[in-house]
Amino acid sequence: MTLLQRIKDLVRSRSIHVSYVDVGSCNGCDIEILACLAPRYDIEQYGIYVHNNPREADVLLVVGAFTLGWEEKLKMVWDKIPEPKAAIAIGNCPISGGVFDRRGSYVDPPVSKHIPIAAEVPGCPPRPTEILSAILSIRDTVFAGWEVKQR
Amino acid sequence: MKRTVDVNIPLGPIHPCFKEPARLKCETRGERVIGAEVELGYMKKGIERIMKGRPWQEVMFLAERVCGICSVIHNMVFIEAIEKISGIEVPPRAALLRVIANELDRMQSHMLANFSYCYTIEHETLAMYLLDIREQVMDELERLTGARVTCAYIVPGGVRCDIRNEDRDTLSASLDRIEHDLHRYAKMFETGPMIALRSKGIGILTEESALQAHVVGPTARASGIAVDMRTNHPTYRKLNFAPVVRHGCDNYARVMVRFDELSASIGLIRQSLRALSPGVIRGGGICKAGTLRYSGEAPRGELTYSITTDEYGRVAEIQIQTPSIMNIEACCHYMIIGVDSIADVTSAFVSADPCIACTER
Repeated sequence: MTLLQRIKDLVRSRSIHVSYVDVGSCNGCDIEILACLAPRYDIEQYGIYVHNNPREADVLLVVGAFTLGWEEKLKMVWDKIPEPKAAIAIGNCPISGGVFDRRGSYVDPPVSKHIPIAAEVPGCPPRPTEILSAILSIRDTVFAGWEVKQR
Repeated sequence: MKRTVDVNIPLGPIHPCFKEPARLKCETRGERVIGAEVELGYMKKGIERIMKGRPWQEVMFLAERVCGICSVIHNMVFIEAIEKISGIEVPPRAALLRVIANELDRMQSHMLANFSYCYTIEHETLAMYLLDIREQVMDELERLTGARVTCAYIVPGGVRCDIRNEDRDTLSASLDRIEHDLHRYAKMFETGPMIALRSKGIGILTEESALQAHVVGPTARASGIAVDMRTNHPTYRKLNFAPVVRHGCDNYARVMVRFDELSASIGLIRQSLRALSPGVIRGGGICKAGTLRYSGEAPRGELTYSITTDEYGRVAEIQIQTPSIMNIEACCHYMIIGVDSIADVTSAFVSADPCIACTER
């Protein structure tokens, strides 16, 4: 591994920009993501910065059971994120549809049909610490040595 | 009518200030907003459709997942509607425990709303302070009900679990701490000159236009309309509840109403804890057939469930009316119109505390 690659890995592991997109959840997982910002969990001590701009993001948190309104739009959001990137499904809904996946509802789960999902955090809703550890687990497996893996 | 518009600015569906996807289209002339339109439809899941024909045991959990922020009140209104239909009595201890759970939920919701507002006007310090005490409220909610967000605490005929004596002491000690901090943060908001510049006189919703738009909840109470469904609730009546009203009509008044309601909620929880007498927490009963329209006060305003059940306790017909839809309309037609700059559009929108998830269901 070259020195340049090592520097890149070090910098990337301490600077993860997170964007979250709500594709039809009940808001429960959204507020648990917001709770991660709280001083108790202190997401910024790991170098994670939450804002909602896909063009600057590294990690996309997907929340919700994929409603039909997002049919092509989620793919557009995913394409706007620069490489290297990863998507994490937060909660039961993007994994399986949760309570909403019944006959007659307007959802189309799982989200992995529409964009590639790197990690899944089950729970209705998962605790902020679980969301935090999922983002941190992505850090080394997806972002470390990304250029080497591309070759 | 043809209208000359400089530029049509779309905000959302993914926007740093919005927690949920909604698209806000602002027609501007210069910096001034002359018209706005909200575009919903990103969150429609059809919960009412999947509720139909299911027993109340299942609908109870679905009702809770209409909105994650105000899940306790959705649970409470649905269960109380079922109880009213079936004539089930609630033990007094359970009724008071319901008030405690509901007020804790309202506190965390109002703190989140004020956090969002402070975050939107870029006062991140106060926002983080509020989010920090919100975690203490979430701890108390978890200690009482067993879960942070979707707790399914209220069941027909009572509540799911009792509060232990040591938890009662922890709750009152924690309330003292929260009240002390809250008082300080409310003072910070009240007297902050920079906050006043971004909040006072912005997003005006006069009393007449509020009545026309049928706004509910803290948005209505900030415009001088004393409307609160808690005044009709028997348990709240026993606790001598009176709604908080302010006459500021602007963003500042809406946020301050929420701060005042936080103190009122702490008072209600203290009163309930004092009135708590030993006894059972679950009565018995059988769910019967009937039709009822029942309302309760969610953190954002009046929430109405219109339910028809059959003789097996299944929900045959259900209609939910959530508070945010009126507030969003008022936001687009009155609050945003005439603000001085585009930067104030998001803060006026967030000050009404819109919840898209329960609006679209």
